Amino acid sequence: MSTPVVRMSPPATFAARAGRALSPATQARLITGIAILVVWELVVRAFAPPYVAKPTGVILAIPKVIVDPDFLTATGITLMAVAEGLLIAIVLGAVIGLLIGRSIVADRMLRHYVNAFNAVPMVIVLPLVSLWFGYTGNARLATIVFAAIFAIILNVADGARSVSREYLEVARSFRSGRARMLIEVVLPAATPYFLAGLRLAAGRALIGAVVAEFFTAIGGLGYYILYTSRTYRHDEAFVGVLLLAAFGLAFELLVNTGTQRFLPWYRRDEKA
Amino acid sequence: MMKRHGPFWLSLIVGIALWEIVGRSVSPAFMVPLSETLGRLWELGRSGELWAQFLNSALLFSTGFLIALAVGMPAGLLLARMRIIRIGLEPYIMLLYATPMVALIPFILSLMGFGFAPKVLVVFLFAVFPILYNTVEGARSIKPELIEVARSFRSSEWALWREVMLPYTLPFTMTGVRQAIGRGLVGMVAAEFFLSATGLGGLIMTASQNFDTGAVFGIILIIGLIGVALTRAGQAIENRFARWRV
Repeated sequence: MSTPVVRMSPPATFAARAGRALSPATQARLITGIAILVVWELVVRAFAPPYVAKPTGVILAIPKVIVDPDFLTATGITLMAVAEGLLIAIVLGAVIGLLIGRSIVADRMLRHYVNAFNAVPMVIVLPLVSLWFGYTGNARLATIVFAAIFAIILNVADGARSVSREYLEVARSFRSGRARMLIEVVLPAATPYFLAGLRLAAGRALIGAVVAEFFTAIGGLGYYILYTSRTYRHDEAFVGVLLLAAFGLAFELLVNTGTQRFLPWYRRDEKA
Repeated sequence: MMKRHGPFWLSLIVGIALWEIVGRSVSPAFMVPLSETLGRLWELGRSGELWAQFLNSALLFSTGFLIALAVGMPAGLLLARMRIIRIGLEPYIMLLYATPMVALIPFILSLMGFGFAPKVLVVFLFAVFPILYNTVEGARSIKPELIEVARSFRSSEWALWREVMLPYTLPFTMTGVRQAIGRGLVGMVAAEFFLSATGLGGLIMTASQNFDTGAVFGIILIIGLIGVALTRAGQAIENRFARWRV
């Protein structure tokens, strides 16, 4: 531990940071990024009709779109629906997952259903939910829950199963009750698995919201993309796609840093 | 034997009974019992309609998926040998891997219309990035020492690919293949819903417009079974190659 401390004198850190900013990897990434944008721009200008999204058009559209009240409301509605659906999926999914993970009978009764539903392409529920809930926000909510819940169930179940037997034996020999054991031993052990499931679930929930809006034409970010691209305003529609991608990435980062900060004891196998 | 599998069969029977009872007690506009669903499916099967639309969907899925494999795998391997290009492209591949591809469907629709090609493009876009991303990931995991040893034994480029690159990246590619099967299926149904209504997805659309709930449930059941079967196949392929992992 002593050598790195000696090296971390302020000027050295500064130099290292400046050096890192210009590292060959960063340079390569920047140059590739610029090259992609230039090729995209040139190809669209040369071959595509004028309404097709191109980098300059998208950049020019950003300041216009992000102050557009329609766009802001749409984004808010979709995000709220995703948050609500995720919350339902988390609560229900964690309960069912714990049940499957800790009870052999529940596992044998429910696992094949969960596996089967998880393998079904999620868009398939759209005709059903629109039949059951009409062309309303509830149809979107149901799609989000369906899209998200199975990833959470499967991961929580894996986590609850992974609790090492020694921990449970120690808890039992201290005469810990079943409920307490579940809350104080099983839940913490399952948390990293739950977070991995949540990361998957959040991405799927976002997709679920978008496809539900495509299908039912109810207001939201997905419908905004559909509407603006149908009215040949691809630049504006593409700002919506960028925002969706940004939400996906932001959530990924949030869960990753959350895992590192709050669960530092958890080492992921694939990192080794 | 019975004790081990008892809960499984019990829950299967409970599930079937629930479907039948709920289906009989609610309006047929919402749900129809399993017996009626199977009956409707039988009719669709006999008229040949189901089979024709199934082939249509299968053609769409396999075309898009095979193109994704034919593009994603060689591109991933090629990137593995060209280090600087790989480093440059990596973050953008990751970005596209994480982007919800469904959001691009409206653009594809207004640019390419309703033919077969735009739908293949949708399946391709859904399936290609898991393959590419995982292949690149695998290529990254090849120890540089291995390539150096091969080089110092004067290995030709071809031998290097055959003996080092392929065996090391293939297990990762197969993880990508498993993911791509699932995503490709979503892409197939999404294309059939949001572009032109053909195949099994199109059959669902027409059925739900005609309030033919039995057919809607029946085809959802069929697509569900296809999903389960393909997912199993994907897992089997992945596990087969996982043994190569070092």
